[in-house]
Amino acid sequence: MTTEYKLRMGDGKRIFMTKEQIVADLKEGMADAADLGSIPDLSADEIDKLVDIITMPSRMVGVEQGMEVPVTHDIGTIRIDGDQGNSGVGIPSSRLVGAMMHERAFGADTMELGHIDYSYKPAKPVIAQEMQTMEICQQNMIVPLLYGAMPNMGLYYTPDGPFENPGDLMKAFKIDEARQSMEHSAEHLTRDIVWIMQKMMASGSDGVNFDTIGAAGDGDMYASLHAIEALRKQFPDIYIEAGMAGELMLGMHGELEYDGTTLAGLWPHEQAPLVAKAGANVFGPVVNTNTSKSAAWNLGRAVTFIKAAVEASTLPCHVNMGMGVGGIPMLETPTIDAVSRASKAMVEIAGVDGI
Amino acid sequence: MSKEEMFKELSDAVVTCKKDVVIAAVEKAKGEGIPAPEIIEKGLAAGMNEVGVRFERGKLFLPHVMMAAGAMEEGVKLLEADMPKDAVSKKLGVIVNGTVEGDVHDIGKAIVSTMLQSAGFEVHDIGRDVPLQNFIDKIKETNADMVGLSALMTTTLQGQKDVIEMLKENGMRDDVKVMVGGAPATQAWADKIGADCYAENASEAVVKAKELLV
Repeated sequence: MTTEYKLRMGDGKRIFMTKEQIVADLKEGMADAADLGSIPDLSADEIDKLVDIITMPSRMVGVEQGMEVPVTHDIGTIRIDGDQGNSGVGIPSSRLVGAMMHERAFGADTMELGHIDYSYKPAKPVIAQEMQTMEICQQNMIVPLLYGAMPNMGLYYTPDGPFENPGDLMKAFKIDEARQSMEHSAEHLTRDIVWIMQKMMASGSDGVNFDTIGAAGDGDMYASLHAIEALRKQFPDIYIEAGMAGELMLGMHGELEYDGTTLAGLWPHEQAPLVAKAGANVFGPVVNTNTSKSAAWNLGRAVTFIKAAVEASTLPCHVNMGMGVGGIPMLETPTIDAVSRASKAMVEIAGVDGI
Repeated sequence: MSKEEMFKELSDAVVTCKKDVVIAAVEKAKGEGIPAPEIIEKGLAAGMNEVGVRFERGKLFLPHVMMAAGAMEEGVKLLEADMPKDAVSKKLGVIVNGTVEGDVHDIGKAIVSTMLQSAGFEVHDIGRDVPLQNFIDKIKETNADMVGLSALMTTTLQGQKDVIEMLKENGMRDDVKVMVGGAPATQAWADKIGADCYAENASEAVVKAKELLV
């Protein structure tokens, strides 16, 4: 009888595959990334290594000694206090306690302070509270503590913001008006991020985490890159982490450029140089998980994309690893078998500098 | 210029997504004496198909698809007078398309409608957050061959199943093909609820619709 190994589908469902099936899925996922991104395939040795990682009998695996990398967390300050609606575990605690638990109990190498609404725009009316919390956290912690939030440009469109919703305008074939709406929103987003970070830097923040750049498409990335540029100019020593929302920069506008490069359609290895040019310190590439494919397919694809991004990036790459990204199944609390395997593969094969 | 070269020029014109470029190409093709149906089918529609392919590969995006569809529509208008009388009303099939009740997601469904329309189907897009009975009413009203049911949330997927049940209750199921789509929908889900097909994206929706209706 052929030996079968326990894997998962991208939606977390338990499946069993033979080694031959695993290899076939790994290669298919790799080929998909190579085709879409016009990037190289993995080598035969790298495929073998991926097979080894996937088929290891242990429930949980780890990187080889000497290959440990820094681990940082987004929104972690409220991951303890937040309920399942906020990816948390619902243990009543302050953000300070959440941050210190990550630093002192969970081994986080850097940490982030984030508001429960977790976008820059809603942090504006509570900026005094954010400043005070940052100050208190900094007085109690040693690891670098950033302020983090999502650029989330969608909050600038109706009904949440002042500019007409491009989705509604597009439906009416008002393409130019939709684009103008995005351009206006991008200006406001840049301005808000810079203003918030001026306040947070005044309160002792070590830097800023842009979490999910491009979630609202290329306008979101345009605004974020300009905010990074402005912050680098104002605060030469600020630590800036630029994490992406997805693998492909969606062209909701379609024509926006940064440094002469059209943002729409960029894959991780093409995003990296622009993030560096804007002035970030760390690039956080993302590869999305396909819930209809196996973990082998997803991991082959994700490692191929991220390896190319690491090679193209002049900045350290801290890959996004969590629910639905980085070859990890789309589960509210991703399973340790999948998380640890995907993380090991990212470090030992893709060569990421951190997670 | 050969016919093939002219078709390529028409197709490329649609891919530019620019109305004036498409109109110029259509005028040129008419001047070359190419029949209107061929200009549409082998030139403009082929271009729109290429737009769909590039959209799925992340080379073109929503505004481009909308602009290309608008440009193609302008091109087709120029040819209407030259179309054979029976061809004007001849469509590949009638499709009612909408996002089920409780779900306000619109863009993906709108792209599918645009692509189906460009491929030659008569599409009745009844919008988002559509009460399920409205699907049945619109199918009856338009004598539709197919219904497209979009759902973008796991909580609204059930609406797809409910519409299928309503089709059965109304004795319409054998006459209407059902296509389901949306982020949480899968082939397994389509099989489970008895849909005729599942389409992962707009291009696939066109292919599946042609398989079932043409």
